[in-house]
Amino acid sequence: MQNGTERQDFLAKAKQLVANIEANDDRAAAELLSSMSHEREESLFKEVGQLTRQLHDNLATFSIEGQLSSLTDKGIPDAKERLNHVIDMTNEAANTTLNAIDEVLPVTAELQESSDQLLKKWTKFIGRELSLTEFKVMSGEISKFLDDSCKNTKFVHAKANDIVLAQGFQDLTGQIIKKVITLVQDVEESLVELVRIAGSADQPQAEVKTAKGVLEGPIVPGIEVEGAVNSQDEVDDLLSSLGF
Amino acid sequence: MDKNMKILVVDDFSTMRRIVKNLLRELGFTNLDEADDGQTAWPKLKAGGYDFLVTDWNMPGMTGIDLLKTVRATPETANMPVLLVTAESKREQIIEAAQAGVNGYIIKPFTAATLKEKIDKIFARSTT
Repeated sequence: MQNGTERQDFLAKAKQLVANIEANDDRAAAELLSSMSHEREESLFKEVGQLTRQLHDNLATFSIEGQLSSLTDKGIPDAKERLNHVIDMTNEAANTTLNAIDEVLPVTAELQESSDQLLKKWTKFIGRELSLTEFKVMSGEISKFLDDSCKNTKFVHAKANDIVLAQGFQDLTGQIIKKVITLVQDVEESLVELVRIAGSADQPQAEVKTAKGVLEGPIVPGIEVEGAVNSQDEVDDLLSSLGF
Repeated sequence: MDKNMKILVVDDFSTMRRIVKNLLRELGFTNLDEADDGQTAWPKLKAGGYDFLVTDWNMPGMTGIDLLKTVRATPETANMPVLLVTAESKREQIIEAAQAGVNGYIIKPFTAATLKEKIDKIFARSTT
């Protein structure tokens, strides 16, 4: 705690203090005591000052504090919003596509139905089995069919274009997700740096365990989930091994 | 298999409910109803009239596995065929579902052919 000279100095002062008290010199004793406690305070302040300096230097060097707080204040709430937007966009695209198909299916069914009926009549006509009256009816039906075909194929074409346009979500959501990936990387780097500064980087990393009962969600290529199957075939095999 | 049987489709994503219902309609089933999680599905099932339950696993409120367990634990619904259609692919979960008495397990994303195959299998088994 104290080196040799300091110790001798301390001892000399203590002896002097005893001598002062024995000589009933109260004033000298009080002065000596106050100077001794002043010295003690000074060395304590020096130490606190040194620690503060060290902490300040560390924080300044790594500027970790600012980086992390900007991530938690802005980055992570932003990411939540982005991902919610991804859900909205995919939902909208799926609905647009399904709506278009709902509208197209009855139209194609109608086209198929009238072609079937006309084909039957046409076959009879080729086989010279059609009367003049029936032929006149068929001519009218053919005109109407051609007219409807033009309109209906235009309609189907427009709906097909709607479906194509709706796929634009893939590009947009892809970009958003990439941003979130970058953010997650930033958070990871900051945390690693924080651990390093805290001086526990040398300690073995705690094993991250998936809590039981936590649902993993969809299979994501590139992310291995322990104990997960990779295909419907594996599910079927597992179930049949259980007697299914 | 009775194509008029009443089927309840349970999923928290409306898109997935729509896709499953469309596929079922393509397979000839027309008597379809839907619910957005176990909590809204269970009163419907308890009220009766349903012949087949198709449910997701991961849903807010009440999950598909809890719904399955409730269905099996209630005498009126205990024998209802249940098909899980879920993104959950861990072995322990598939085993848990099997132990809870599921009749079929499909992982998302799935195809129309897989859905048909599992339904055929469930109803072939239940009629023999």
